Amino acid sequence: MAQQPFGAMSAAQIQAGLKAKEFSAAEVARGALDRIAVADEPVHSFLEVTEELALEAAARVDDALVAGTFDELGPLAGVPVGFKDNMNLVGTRTTCSSRMLADYASPYTATCVQRCLDAGALPMGKLNMDEFAFGSSTETSAFGPTRNPWDLGRVPGGSSGGSAAAVAAGLVPVTLGSDTGGSIRQPASFCGVVGIKPTYGLVSRYGVVAFGSSLDQVGPFSRTVADAALAMNAIAGRDPLDCTSQPNDVDFAAALDEGAQGMRVGIVPEFLEAPGLTPEVRERIEEVAAKLEAEGATLVDVHLPNAKAAMSAYYVLGPCEAFSNLARFDSVRYGYCDSGHKDLNAQYEASRATGFGEEARRRIMLGSYLLSAGVYERYYYPAQQVRTLITQDYARAFEQVDCILAPVSPRTAFEFGEIGDPTEMYLSDMFTISINIAGNGGMSVPVGIGRDTGLPIGAQLVAPAFQDRAMMRLAAAIERLYGEAPVAPGFADGKAGE
Amino acid sequence: MTQHLTESDVRGIAEYTRIGLSAEEVGRMTVDLNAIIDSLAPITEYDLEGVEPTFHPIGDLSNVMRDDEVRESFSQETALGNAPKQQDGCFLIPSILGEGGDC
Amino acid sequence: MRKLEEVLNDWEAVIGLEVHAELTTLRTKMFCGCKLEFGAEPNTHTCPVCLGLPGALPVPNRAAIEGIVLAGLATNCDIEKHSMFYRKNYMYPDMAKNFQTTQGPVAFCMRGWLDLDVDGPAARERHGLDALEPGQAEGNVTRTEEGYTAHVGITRIHMEEDAGKMVHVGGGEGRIAGATHSLVDYNRAGTPLIELVTEPDLRTPEEARLFMQKLRQIYLALGISNCSMEEGSLRCDGNVSLRRRGSSALGVKTELKNMNSFKNLHDGLAYEICRQAEVLEEGGQIYQETRHWDPTAKRTIVMRVKETADDYRLFPEPDLAPYDLSDEFVEAVRAKLPELPDQKAARYATEHGLSAYDARHLVDHRATADFFDACMALAAAEGDGSRFAKPLANLIINDVTAYMNAHEGFDLAESPLTPERAMELVRLVASDAVSSKQAKEVFAAVLAEDKSPEAIVAERGMEQVSDTGAIEAVVDEVMAANPDKVEQYRGGKTGLLGFFVGQCMKAMRGQGNPKVINELLAAKLDA
Repeated sequence: MAQQPFGAMSAAQIQAGLKAKEFSAAEVARGALDRIAVADEPVHSFLEVTEELALEAAARVDDALVAGTFDELGPLAGVPVGFKDNMNLVGTRTTCSSRMLADYASPYTATCVQRCLDAGALPMGKLNMDEFAFGSSTETSAFGPTRNPWDLGRVPGGSSGGSAAAVAAGLVPVTLGSDTGGSIRQPASFCGVVGIKPTYGLVSRYGVVAFGSSLDQVGPFSRTVADAALAMNAIAGRDPLDCTSQPNDVDFAAALDEGAQGMRVGIVPEFLEAPGLTPEVRERIEEVAAKLEAEGATLVDVHLPNAKAAMSAYYVLGPCEAFSNLARFDSVRYGYCDSGHKDLNAQYEASRATGFGEEARRRIMLGSYLLSAGVYERYYYPAQQVRTLITQDYARAFEQVDCILAPVSPRTAFEFGEIGDPTEMYLSDMFTISINIAGNGGMSVPVGIGRDTGLPIGAQLVAPAFQDRAMMRLAAAIERLYGEAPVAPGFADGKAGE
Repeated sequence: MTQHLTESDVRGIAEYTRIGLSAEEVGRMTVDLNAIIDSLAPITEYDLEGVEPTFHPIGDLSNVMRDDEVRESFSQETALGNAPKQQDGCFLIPSILGEGGDC
Repeated sequence: MRKLEEVLNDWEAVIGLEVHAELTTLRTKMFCGCKLEFGAEPNTHTCPVCLGLPGALPVPNRAAIEGIVLAGLATNCDIEKHSMFYRKNYMYPDMAKNFQTTQGPVAFCMRGWLDLDVDGPAARERHGLDALEPGQAEGNVTRTEEGYTAHVGITRIHMEEDAGKMVHVGGGEGRIAGATHSLVDYNRAGTPLIELVTEPDLRTPEEARLFMQKLRQIYLALGISNCSMEEGSLRCDGNVSLRRRGSSALGVKTELKNMNSFKNLHDGLAYEICRQAEVLEEGGQIYQETRHWDPTAKRTIVMRVKETADDYRLFPEPDLAPYDLSDEFVEAVRAKLPELPDQKAARYATEHGLSAYDARHLVDHRATADFFDACMALAAAEGDGSRFAKPLANLIINDVTAYMNAHEGFDLAESPLTPERAMELVRLVASDAVSSKQAKEVFAAVLAEDKSPEAIVAERGMEQVSDTGAIEAVVDEVMAANPDKVEQYRGGKTGLLGFFVGQCMKAMRGQGNPKVINELLAAKLDA
């Protein structure tokens, strides 16, 4: 049998093969590069492929293999990894899928990226996203959408659509994405892979282009929970360059086989009764709950009475922070510059009008309005108060349970152009947003194919703050019930989307 | 739908955020923003008497500071590496008309 | 326009100051590890944070927080333990992120005050002092023997970051108006900046000047800033409005910028007060506007008109954890408080018997106070105690201060005038070895030639002659050479004594002790 594409192997399999000298890290890098060149063509998950960086990193891994120091390299040694294109990496452009940053060369490297490199990862390139992470479909990318490997006529979700699709298509085993309101979990669910949004503060945000500073969190995608745990081990922990980051002494890979036995799993009835939740998703989540109960978990109904206001709180806080974070794109130090204007103001207005796409302009203007005098008191301040209530809801729920089980998205992946109205698009994140508001960890784990749509469904697990290991343990138990996430059928066995 | 913002308001916001919009874009933006602001209603309907805001979802974390130690800076070349325009080691911008900054 | 003194008879000026000080004595910037250095090549002290690059995050410098708490303690502020940083959003190219990280409604330091001692001619600018007896108070003023003390409230001192620097090219004198383009250098961007805001308690330009001077002394004593108004590390804006004497309503205020020296601060405010009075007296209206003081043209010009209040979309900075300062933190900072100028002056008065005036002027400059302290330490070591305190104070207040004022950049601590040499000079005068007139020559020579006073006196043969025998011989000679004048003197023209003294001094090449000459002459002429 021909060698399986390296990207379709798990990190653990690659590392085992390297150690057994079945192949070299250079072969892993070269193989993954070749596979991306062919198979990403229909998917368009990569915006930039970093051949040179990947081969350099592979050479270091091969040196370590020769020297017998492979085990000292770190949890991602020899593993091809891709990065969402809002993460700075010296030697690459960091575009945020925006015309504004189309030519922006990173002069420094984000902490999460550096930690992957330090852990021995092979950096394969930068991945497509919704422009500045504003979106749930990757359709707002200025460089064209990413297509869902399960159905190329459908969106991969977003905003980390490229990160999810690259893993689903078997191009790389691990990618990093960022999640502000569901931007890791929803595309993971749409593409049938594992995606983790860690507790706010567990992973450094330094060097990741900010959208909503109090909501953003970086996390991994992979096809196995174990691979996600390796990535978490590489990236989690305090960073002196991020004031909101916190120390971590947990080994995420350690407790994965403990099973669901004895775990108290919370079910949120108001989520399962939410209008818009499709029957195939609802029934699958109920089925997961029943299977976990059969495995020895206890199901407990928990209530999040204020979660219903999370969506509005999010669409206040996110745009307010984004408005301020995106003010720096002014054509002076970097970024798109519409030159030839006689005065700076004219250059500002033309550069920002052309450099930003429609959704970015909408959120900037919305945030500016919501923070203006008199309006701040009506929306921003109350939204931060509502955040307190939502946080308290979760804290109370976690007095009763170890983990909450919920849907990720109300439905499976939709078709391109199917949702045009911005407020309707925002509903994609109805089950994920409250977790960003409260700051807890949340993740999506694949639970098979929808009976109506034939597309992947994800189950969302939510953990108490800094108890991310609890949801990963439960995810591993679910993975054993539903099987490890497969490469999307059109990309299995060397196919490239046919 | 409630009219939270008029087209004139939206033009004012565009001016403040330095985003040049055409008349047609202002019209569309006005419709979109009003729809979004409508969807924020639940925030305004809450009884939040006595509820403290959570500006930082970081628990009790406070007083995070660093020591006064020098870290390496960029070279001038790196600092200006992405500059659309530069001159004499500085970022070059067209003339600033009108009002000045404030700090 | 009328003179300030006249204007202030009819109008009361209400002045508040906003004083920005860069914490230049720190090693690094407010939110990143870039080095603080004035005058480096453009954009060489920059990094992702202070260039506002996408993805960069701020981390506050602990030493800056200690610095502002120090400033607050030294200006009698309450230290607020719970506070946060905010984002103040406005687009301007010198502000890399297009928002300034600053503090919100609660600053680290709130509700402080400073007392200003005003004396001399400037005290006359304060209206209604004549009605008060020394010790009597009215409003924020207490009458003193020499003038008055004004109690000035400090609203707050908050922590923020400075902007970059811009050079405007193509217009006149580097000004924005008429420039074709501008150049931006972010080396200064992110420099720790503390902004002190006073209550509108100041009433005269002199009070404003004294407030700035006093604040500068305090900051220098704390060692938190080099306080160079020329380099812009200490900057001041003023808010001024006028109201008719007796009225308590507040007038429309203007904001004054570019008052980058004590003289400009005084003159700019004085001009603006007179300008506003003229406008109001002619039935005109004052507009809320920002004006720029032009020291060359000696007038203020409009920079911009504020039609509506600026809306900075202030909101808590999510990237920075809030502050919850512990008692230990504040007490550890308090323990670092040095002796402040006011305390030092009080000590000079009690310990060394100096007048309040002398004591206050010794502490006008940190350098002179440090110098005085070093000299007094030497005196103590030699068992002289405070014996030479007064003549030393005179030397420092008169000669040294004049020299410092005349020589920009003069560093007393590094100068040839060491405390040892200063004490030597003072002792030479006290022992009548040199006259006070000669002392001035010796002082200048010490600085010019880097030699000790004794060496200079010896080299130039300057020792004062107090020997009665030697002087008597000269007196006899002079009297013998001028018999007519002796006769006239004895005939009642006693004013000729000066002539005889002069002749004797001339004969002794200025080295005769004038006191001894006077005594001997008087005795012989009157004989």
